[in-house]
Amino acid sequence: MELEERARDSADNCIACTSCIAACPVTAANPEYKGPKLVGPAHSRMHFSDPSDYEDTLMLCSNCKNCDITCPNGVSVSTLNMLERAKYLQAHPEAHKPEDEMLSHGFKMANMLNSIPFGKQLANLGMSIGEATGMMGIMGMAPRKTPRYASTYFRDMFKKIKQPSSDKKVLFFPGCYIDTNDPEVGVAFVKVMNENGYEVLMDDRFVCCGSPLVVGGYLDEARNHADTNVAVIQEYARKNIPVIACCTSCSLMLKTEYTELFAQSEMKEAAKNVWDAFEFLARLDYEGKLKKVSIKSDHKFIYHAPCHLRAQGIGLPALDLLEKAGLNIVNADAGCCGISGSYGFHKDNYETSMKVGQKLFDAINGDNYHKVVCDCGTCRMQIEHGTDTKAIHPIRILAKAYKKS
Amino acid sequence: MSKSDVVVIGNGVAGLMAALVSADEGKKVTLLSYGAGTFPLNSGVIDILGYDDAGKAVDSPIEGIGKLAENHPYKKIGVAAIQDSVEFFKRTVAGEGFPYTGSLKEQQWLVTSVGTLKPTCLLPESLEASDCFKAHEIVIVGVKGLKDFYVDMVKENLAKELGEDKRYTTVTVDTYITGRDLTTRDVARWVESDKGYGEFLAQVKGQAGVGKVVIVPQILGTKGDYTVYNRLVKDLGCSVVETTGMPPSVNGIRLRDVLLSALKKKGIRVIENAKAEKAIVKGDVVTAIEAGGEIRSQVYEADKFILATGGFYSGGITMRDFGEYKEMVFGLPVEGDCTEEKWVNKQLFSDKKQAFAMAGVRVDSSLRAVDDSGNVVLKNVYVVGRNLSGYDFCFEHSGNGVALSSAYKAARA
Repeated sequence: MELEERARDSADNCIACTSCIAACPVTAANPEYKGPKLVGPAHSRMHFSDPSDYEDTLMLCSNCKNCDITCPNGVSVSTLNMLERAKYLQAHPEAHKPEDEMLSHGFKMANMLNSIPFGKQLANLGMSIGEATGMMGIMGMAPRKTPRYASTYFRDMFKKIKQPSSDKKVLFFPGCYIDTNDPEVGVAFVKVMNENGYEVLMDDRFVCCGSPLVVGGYLDEARNHADTNVAVIQEYARKNIPVIACCTSCSLMLKTEYTELFAQSEMKEAAKNVWDAFEFLARLDYEGKLKKVSIKSDHKFIYHAPCHLRAQGIGLPALDLLEKAGLNIVNADAGCCGISGSYGFHKDNYETSMKVGQKLFDAINGDNYHKVVCDCGTCRMQIEHGTDTKAIHPIRILAKAYKKS
Repeated sequence: MSKSDVVVIGNGVAGLMAALVSADEGKKVTLLSYGAGTFPLNSGVIDILGYDDAGKAVDSPIEGIGKLAENHPYKKIGVAAIQDSVEFFKRTVAGEGFPYTGSLKEQQWLVTSVGTLKPTCLLPESLEASDCFKAHEIVIVGVKGLKDFYVDMVKENLAKELGEDKRYTTVTVDTYITGRDLTTRDVARWVESDKGYGEFLAQVKGQAGVGKVVIVPQILGTKGDYTVYNRLVKDLGCSVVETTGMPPSVNGIRLRDVLLSALKKKGIRVIENAKAEKAIVKGDVVTAIEAGGEIRSQVYEADKFILATGGFYSGGITMRDFGEYKEMVFGLPVEGDCTEEKWVNKQLFSDKKQAFAMAGVRVDSSLRAVDDSGNVVLKNVYVVGRNLSGYDFCFEHSGNGVALSSAYKAARA
């Protein structure tokens, strides 16, 4: 069923106050970009214009959502940009960049490699060679380390984890990056939930949340992914089993962006059953149900809040919990890291991406921090690329603390 | 979601100041923000009172306040709190390396981006324009490709304001930046880079000199400090004055960054994108605010709540139908004429105040909302800034002044 309010309608709430232009990290870094107001709300208000009518800096938007966060009138600025981009690319498939297909469909390759013996290892080797010889650059990729495949994906690791059974269950939405690149985050999540008396479930029907498809302009495919995931989420909602994601871009997609993009009431209903991991843990803590945890470390940590978490309007629950548990941690508060999912992996966006991240890199390099803590996988990659400090997901710190106690 | 002593709702000038003063009281503060506040639209100067009820210029803000009607917010706030709030503000921004100049005793003058003079009370040193009165030559610097700053218009208007006995010259500098139309923030970024500064100086230096004043748009750096300004004054050997600017206002954002920096030092939590949706009320006391996205709200408990949602201009107060003003978070009583015939004066630039601008929450001298009989509605909810009734800030030039002083009073209460 279609919702009355669509992201596109929200364009008419724009009063052209320019807050989004002032907050946009891409506008600040790249003088070519006209800024979110002019690209999203202004251009998409031309409802009746020719589909080939096109603002030529539309491709420069990173969909980081700082415009949405800063808008005082609830305009879904970045989503308007993505809708415009998809509309244009549908009419002009030739305008796709060569790397779009690969960067938007990482899940396809990851799945295929898992079915080939030594597929992942060979692919990792191939990436190392490709990066060393410049082949990745020829393919349109930025000069940075492309994420390596884990030797065992989380979906396979999960089957071997022995969990105490419980009436209290949650369904884990691993997302591509945790599943195929950083499975230790998933393992830590299971540990933390088990400690709190929850049994973690997985459902193989889940597919990529679709965020990389949206930014690449593959909106129809993203819609298929949304429908698949929403059906699973609703099935579990009927059993009162919440769905939890440890990746803040996945949780934002499931909670908010499906509804903004596709305006289906089922999506909004399903969203009510989706939680970001630390949002869920913070709620347990608020209700006095979180198992006490205390962190003992002599090290000093720095926290980077992903933009896609900030957009969720739930504060910084991971920072709050870690601080409460006794971790010596400061909030970097240095804005966008610049990578914004697959954005910074495009060769053409690399310079902008690194320029945007400079303030964060400076904040991290400014003191002798042991590690950077961050809920987002691609932010962590960008941080490790731009600094010499390791970055980890907060759930791993919590899991380690439970293990020690 | 842990409990705070004070929850401030709104992050404009009033909200940030209320949070800062509350923290100064030793309170644990949570600030709920939705959008960027008014800063990209805000000059970042503090007008206390520019014009009286009849629209006549006020020479001394503090004296002008004494003559205001009894239902004006300043009368409820009181002179002592207004004075203390000005001192607190000046201390705060000075502590962040961005001292403001001016006092309640007399107006300061600034140059607008169209070249008119405007009275204000407190302003950054780089905007303070008194040297223009004694200068023998005014040099107006424009920037190629910069929208909304037209040197010829500034020149013409300034000549009217300052007199034809001075020399007025113009120069237009090139940033060599290609791409989109420039905003003042783009140019400010260029000027604060070493390369940009060098290029800028080279194009302006020849025009400057002793006894002249160089007028520039708001381009002397994006940050709330005077690094670029001081360097330029020294290198040009004469006075430099920044004008106010069109949105996004460089100086409004400088002020926001400075206040946020002060907030951060006091450990104040700012929750972004958290629209306050609903209050949890027990009797005449609010125990918590539910805020957040459409999907589910977070609960923010506190002993005290300060409402700084920006009134009619920012969605804190709305009117869906004529005759029905509504305060959106607590449903507090709103006073003001909202009939279809009277809510707006169609002569936008006339010498009459606007009824919709005068509308707001009716409060007593403690800044808590009161009902028709004068009884306090919610004992621990304080109302500040544009939510207050009884003044038209555009007409009298008092927006940031009321925001600042009401926030101060509410936070100290």
